[in-house]
Amino acid sequence: MPTLEKNINSVKKILTSADILVFEFISEGGKKFAAIYADGIADKALLGELVVKPLRAAEAEDGIEKVRLLLASPEVKDCNRIPDAVKEISDGNAVLFVDGEKDFFIIGLKSPPARAISEPPTQIAVKGPREGFIEDIKTNMGLVRKRIKSENLQIKTIKCGERSDTAVALVYIEGVCPAGLPEKIEKQISENEIDIIPDSSYISSFISKRPRSLFKRVGTAEKPDIFCAKICEGRVGILVDGSPIAVTAPYMIVEDFQTGEDYYQSSYRATTLRLIRAISVFIGILLPALYVSAQLFKSQLIPFRLLLKISSSVQGIPLSPSIEMFLTLLVLEVLNEASIRMPKYVGLALSIVGALVLGDTAVKAGIISTPAIIIIAFSAICLYTVPDLVETTATLRWIYLIVAGSIGSFGLVVLTGFIITYLCSENVYGVPLLAPFAPLVKGDLYDAMTKSNLYTLKNRPASLRSGDKVRLKNGNKR
Amino acid sequence: MEISVRQICFILIFYNAASKLLQYPTLLSGYAGSGLLFSALVSFAVEGAVIWAVAYLSSKTEKTLFALVKDTFGEVAARIVYGFFAVFFILCSVLPLFEHKLYVHAIFYDTVPALFSFLPVFFFTVYAGSKPFKNIGRCADICMPVFILSFAFVAFMSLSEVDYTNLLPLNAAPAKSIFGGSLKTALYFTEPAYLLMFLGHYKYKKGDAARLVLSYAGGAAIVLFFLATFYGVYGGISSSRQFAISKTSLYFSAMDMIGRVDLFALYAMEFVMLFAYVLNIQLAVHCLVRCTGFKSPEILSFAVNAALFAVIVAFDRFYTAIQSLFAGWMWIPVVLFAVALPAAAWGLRRRRNES
Repeated sequence: MPTLEKNINSVKKILTSADILVFEFISEGGKKFAAIYADGIADKALLGELVVKPLRAAEAEDGIEKVRLLLASPEVKDCNRIPDAVKEISDGNAVLFVDGEKDFFIIGLKSPPARAISEPPTQIAVKGPREGFIEDIKTNMGLVRKRIKSENLQIKTIKCGERSDTAVALVYIEGVCPAGLPEKIEKQISENEIDIIPDSSYISSFISKRPRSLFKRVGTAEKPDIFCAKICEGRVGILVDGSPIAVTAPYMIVEDFQTGEDYYQSSYRATTLRLIRAISVFIGILLPALYVSAQLFKSQLIPFRLLLKISSSVQGIPLSPSIEMFLTLLVLEVLNEASIRMPKYVGLALSIVGALVLGDTAVKAGIISTPAIIIIAFSAICLYTVPDLVETTATLRWIYLIVAGSIGSFGLVVLTGFIITYLCSENVYGVPLLAPFAPLVKGDLYDAMTKSNLYTLKNRPASLRSGDKVRLKNGNKR
Repeated sequence: MEISVRQICFILIFYNAASKLLQYPTLLSGYAGSGLLFSALVSFAVEGAVIWAVAYLSSKTEKTLFALVKDTFGEVAARIVYGFFAVFFILCSVLPLFEHKLYVHAIFYDTVPALFSFLPVFFFTVYAGSKPFKNIGRCADICMPVFILSFAFVAFMSLSEVDYTNLLPLNAAPAKSIFGGSLKTALYFTEPAYLLMFLGHYKYKKGDAARLVLSYAGGAAIVLFFLATFYGVYGGISSSRQFAISKTSLYFSAMDMIGRVDLFALYAMEFVMLFAYVLNIQLAVHCLVRCTGFKSPEILSFAVNAALFAVIVAFDRFYTAIQSLFAGWMWIPVVLFAVALPAAAWGLRRRRNES
């Protein structure tokens, strides 16, 4: 029979860190117990209340089964391997050893430090739910369960990261999600051996067939209502412990032009906003490039009176239009980067320096023209109408600007053709990236760049090849 | 299946129209004068009949042209036929390439730029040329709204100055110039050859033959409308107005106030024209892959584009000579590959059944 000390020593031999605590206690009947847990991530109050208190009060405990019945914790697991115990302690649970017993208990007490549920800063809604995911996967799973109570909701947890042992949960609805898709995604994640998974973006890279691509290949959601809606359309959702951003696959570019709020307001308003977003993104990418190409190669593109105004503004500017635009864009990117990284109060000063000192003074000094600043500022605002695509669109803006400065508008047309050809050839888990536009899926167009009323969206997106096509049935045909 | 009937319909409407809006109206008005509509009608009628024949053939077989020829004459013959088709498609892309170059220089630049500014198009054609039919179809889906919006915009701007009485009297042009015009502009009518290449690569459903023919008729209607508008705006001097699509909207009354907004529509149209142009290269590469058995379309696309690159660099300043040359004899391969061979494909099918 292994003694209590022997078991404790076996664990402490592996987990040598000082934050691994051992709490030994004796029951009324004289039985010795030891609870081992990691300080900071296990709930000590619960340990005292659900484990120590009932065991201490016990008169006599003959055999491990009797001890089990005394435990008030709802999450108790039997175990007899020390490596498993070590893993559970590292994960935040407690291990309870009983003197003279080979078997022991794993008590679910995991309570890692987590912030409260709040509205995500990038997906603020005027109408609709305001809850956002947090870094704790269990809370996030709870937020999903709260919304989808179906018996077909499946949450499959796997571990990823050789050292971090991060929990990754695949969330899908059986029968709605295409058969075989969760397994395919699981295989792609499991194939990777990496030290640590600090964020869900690592998982995004694992499940992207082309991680070097400029274009996103997985969707993201920071709010459980959006996440659940995507799951209900037939996608697989992925929650990663430590990340407030959930990943969804398959992904279509059009998803990023849709917001959760579109579904909580009138379809007319939603359609208008979606079109504005699409137009804004095009303007944001193309406006600096078109301005440069118009100035350099085809001044007819600019209306005559505006041209006169611009020519008076650019008079005396020592830089060529392309260099001027390039530098202005560079300043914008630097200001953007610095304002995110700097402390809040310094950031305020920075925006004053950026706007007044750099902008106003540069114009007054005749280094940069006013139209260049207006165009870059407007372009920056336009791109942020679709924040999930900013990584891609901001890079594209640079590429278009360079092409426009080199060969003009024709280069822009050729580059667009090139990008469209590329996007048309891309699929994510069998779903075309440009669906429902290429290939054209008529039924899915009702919820693409336009948003029809709820009764028109009776079927799940055909592009996703869901197992269950119908999502809305109503008695009164409307 | 690699391409859908809907996507082929889009190709027959929008690529068909887009490829005939640059120099075709100018040349046809030169050859046929006010009879340009009749001349175009003759071409469309002949090609439309062949389109119907090929579309109807697809209802009878699920095989590709390669398989049909192989079943009838053996694999070597099939490879040879595809080799000839590859040459045909390369030839078909020579004149449009020159036209594009001149058009690009005219509408994208204030001054005539160096040839260098046009050459980036080869980055696109090498890349797109190697793409399979699935990609061709999807690109056609994207081009559909772009063409509709841009053409509608240009047409709207053109209508303010159009005078359709310029086309009257309808019987003014002699039959010789009407038929002569059709023959000399035959090189713009290669759609039946496209459809022949798509044979066996799409799933035929009942009524698809009618859909394909109607789509071709739709494309023809757009071109005929534009021809009438172009001649309606310029009348007798139409033949001197190069790059027709960029000329009809020039006199829109609000242009002084809003600037050359028609250029944005023309740029969007150029986007569609690029895809219409690259279809020839894509089909040439497809044929070469089958002909040579070489599995890398990227290298074949590079080779085809290198040949076209050499041609455009060598004959950069000889558009007029090349245009006259092509107008003079290109109708022969067009008749052979876009009329006779598609019709002969019916013979292949029958012979196979009989055997």
